[in-house]
Amino acid sequence: MATYFAELKNDFILNFIDEGRWRWLWEGLGNTLIITFVALLMGLAIGIVIAAVRSTFDKNRESMEMHKGFGYYVLKLSNAICHLYLTVIRGTPVVVQLLIMYFIVFATSRDSLMVAMIAFGINSGAYVAEILRGGIMSIDNGQFEAGRSLGFNYIQTMIYIIIPQVFKNVLPVLCNEFIVLLKETSVAGYVGIVDLTKAGDLIRGRTFSAFMPLIAVALIYLIMVVILTALVGVLERRLRKNER
Amino acid sequence: MNGNTPYIVVNDLQKHYKGGAIRALDGIDFSINRGEVVVIIGPSGSGKSTFLRSLNLLEIPTHGDIIVNGTNIIEKNVNIDEHRQKMCMVFQHFNLFPHMTVLKNMTLAPVKLLKKPQAEVETKALNLLKRVGLSDRAYAYPDQLSGGQKQRVAIVRALMMEPDVMLFDEPTSALDPEMVGEVLEVMKELASDGMTMVVVTHEMGFAREVGSRVIFMDDGRILEQGSPADIFGNPQNPRLKDFLSKVL
Ligand SMILES: Nc1ncnc2c1ncn2[C@@H]1O[C@H](COP(=O)(O)OP(=O)(O)OP(=O)(O)O)[C@@H](O)[C@H]1O
Ligand SMILES: [Mg+2]
Repeated sequence: MATYFAELKNDFILNFIDEGRWRWLWEGLGNTLIITFVALLMGLAIGIVIAAVRSTFDKNRESMEMHKGFGYYVLKLSNAICHLYLTVIRGTPVVVQLLIMYFIVFATSRDSLMVAMIAFGINSGAYVAEILRGGIMSIDNGQFEAGRSLGFNYIQTMIYIIIPQVFKNVLPVLCNEFIVLLKETSVAGYVGIVDLTKAGDLIRGRTFSAFMPLIAVALIYLIMVVILTALVGVLERRLRKNER
Repeated sequence: MNGNTPYIVVNDLQKHYKGGAIRALDGIDFSINRGEVVVIIGPSGSGKSTFLRSLNLLEIPTHGDIIVNGTNIIEKNVNIDEHRQKMCMVFQHFNLFPHMTVLKNMTLAPVKLLKKPQAEVETKALNLLKRVGLSDRAYAYPDQLSGGQKQRVAIVRALMMEPDVMLFDEPTSALDPEMVGEVLEVMKELASDGMTMVVVTHEMGFAREVGSRVIFMDDGRILEQGSPADIFGNPQNPRLKDFLSKVL
């Protein structure tokens, strides 16, 4: 028993203390968080724009077809572009998107952290867009009609009546998307970023001892996810309580 | 406008679905004067809702003209949002905004669209609520109201815009029987105040008592129209007779 603990202790020192290797994990965690955070903001921005284009097209298609003007064709084209974007992004693995971004699109840039933020942001945008659009479509059409029949235009109806209701419905789902994103960034090592996962793997390669670093990495992800999930739960209950 | 011209004139209104395979409206000619209460009756699927919803372009007609106060609202350069402010709609399922209090439901449109001061609008809203017996519900949320209360709120919400015309699509059909009366009462009062109203309803008692004119629709067409006394007392069209024998 005593030898077991002594070994464990040696293993711990080897993997985390020697050469200050714990710092690799710390820096890796920093990269993981910054990629996730920036990608999240980008994803939200992209998602809002795409969802706006797509649902505006869906909801106004009929009335715009009555008098096909310039706006109709602009919207139709934008909608088609958004549709293509969603299909491509959701139809290919995020690692492949990351590699394409790094080695093809931004081949001249060696700022892999920036490229990863953009790649994950663009990826996340597609999922956020569909969450938001689903939220908009789930609102009873009677709400749109009530708004419009009082004399609000489409945009006013969205701002005053639809979006506040959508926001309440989709906020927990968006937070879950954030949690998924946090885990997905673990492939950032493919383009030479030392994120949390890559840091653990580097330690393993250096010490030839797999258990400690990999379990440590797993635990760090797990703790973050458990905490975030609990926060989403609190948020969900809070939102439901405000509901009448 | 000239007092003799009807407030709304509809010419050969058609609404097709599936490239003409379904004709929800199949050539409607219609007019209504200010202060008139027109009640539309007819079997399910006859196009009553489609017609009513066409009047404020919630449905886009396939063909025809809708001339409101001299303006053909089908035309491209017409601002449909301004038009809708003058022609408010009350729905079968109320469609109150669930995230707002009763008072907010009522004040939102006049404050944002008519740019009236909040205090003035609130006073007006509270007065209207008082008139329909809901003074104590101003700060309630829609989910805390009964169906009859919701519909009364929906009516006063529309009234806040001071519309020229009110459109009602089966306003009492989603209500428990004991709540129908309270809503009809409010509508009767509106009618006697001179509001121009188009009402789709299955409440034949209301049609008979309040309607200035009753229209019978079937298969997307107006098959017969006339005074309540004529329609109910001396129906001509066999389908109207058949319909009345089922509902009366
Ligand atoms: N979006 C649509 N697509 C295809 N057909 C439709 C659509 N909307 C309505 N219709 C058809 O148009 C016809 C008229 O429908 P409408 O809702 O106006 O009838 P209604 O008289 O209001 O009936 P109810 O008393 O049941 O409310 C029906 O045959 C209906 O099936
Ligand atoms: Mg109907």
